[in-house]
Amino acid sequence: MDVQNLVGLIPWTFVAQICNLFIQMYLIKRFLFKPINNILEKRKAAADAEISEATKAKEEALAMKADYEQNMLEAKTKANEILTTAQKTATVQSEEMIREASKQAAALKVKAESDIAQEKRKAVNEIKDEIGSMAVEIAGKVIEREISEEDHAKLIDEFIASVGEGA
Amino acid sequence: MEVDISGARVFFTIHTNIPILGDLQISETLVVSWLVMILITGLCIWLTHDLKVENISKRQAVAEMLVETANKFVIGNMGETFRYLIPFVAALFSTSLVSNLISLVGLRSPTADLSTEAAWAVVVFVMITWQKIKTGGIGGYLKGFTQPIAVLTPFNILSEIATPISMACRHFGNILSGIVINSLIYAALAVASSALFGLIPGLVGDVLARIPFLDVGIPAILSVYFDWFTGVMQAYIFCMLTTLYIANAAEG
Repeated sequence: MDVQNLVGLIPWTFVAQICNLFIQMYLIKRFLFKPINNILEKRKAAADAEISEATKAKEEALAMKADYEQNMLEAKTKANEILTTAQKTATVQSEEMIREASKQAAALKVKAESDIAQEKRKAVNEIKDEIGSMAVEIAGKVIEREISEEDHAKLIDEFIASVGEGA
Repeated sequence: MEVDISGARVFFTIHTNIPILGDLQISETLVVSWLVMILITGLCIWLTHDLKVENISKRQAVAEMLVETANKFVIGNMGETFRYLIPFVAALFSTSLVSNLISLVGLRSPTADLSTEAAWAVVVFVMITWQKIKTGGIGGYLKGFTQPIAVLTPFNILSEIATPISMACRHFGNILSGIVINSLIYAALAVASSALFGLIPGLVGDVLARIPFLDVGIPAILSVYFDWFTGVMQAYIFCMLTTLYIANAAEG
């Protein structure tokens, strides 16, 4: 078997190695860089899509939040309004009720006072009648028997006592 | 003990009789080169089959890492404008690396043939020159030789020519020296082994002396430097110089 020089340039080998280098370059490009770059690009696109989606979602969420806050604010104002109105109405009503109650109480008081006065009058009249009838009775009894001085005083005392009891 | 370190063996010769080129010799260099190419391409195909966008396999992670590393290396050294050179540099590096390391399985490295490195260096040289002409025009390129003063023109031409020669010879010399030293060590250890076991008297000594026991294991330690370290280093240096020279040429 022939052997080439240990150190030397062999033209055919030289040319072949240049070709080999370029073929190798093509092969590496075709079988390593192309598929890997493809997949990297796909991943990048996917990541980009995800990021843009996330941004969109965030924007939506922010819009929703703003909306919600607005609604909350409105609701609060409304609630406050309702509360104030209710309080006002309640104050007005309670004042009215108190006023009416005091009016009624005053009316009752007046009526009771007049009742009392009438009763009193009635009682005085009754006592007057009784005193009248008693006087008649006492006169009758005086006529029926002799009344001593002592008896007379006694009768007067009884009368006074009975009047005191009757009153 | 005779140590014979020769060039690539020639498996067969095709007589072409073309002037200058001579006969086409299918040498060990070429055959192993094709083997290297098949290995690299096979590896690429194996690495990139069944690619996924999400939940990637370790294999795909390695492939992506290789691509990213190549991208970073080329763009880091040369800038974004030279993105198209990434496959070239990757091919150069992988071919050089696998060629250097294939000697570990007992084949002759294609890089142990000066023709291989010369071919690569000439390609790089053409690229450098083309880049220089593209940047400064032919006038600028030629004028560059007379800088800073006209007297230096011969030296400038010399230094220009020295670029591919030094690139080729650096790589070739490192690989060849590895082969030479490995051969010497094998031979020396065989001699030492036969001398050592020859001390055993009688027939046993004669038989054992014929077996180079010391050749087992010991050369592997040296191979860590001469094959592994040098192989990786030279591939890296060659690509580094390629990218730097071309990037420099673009700057003008």
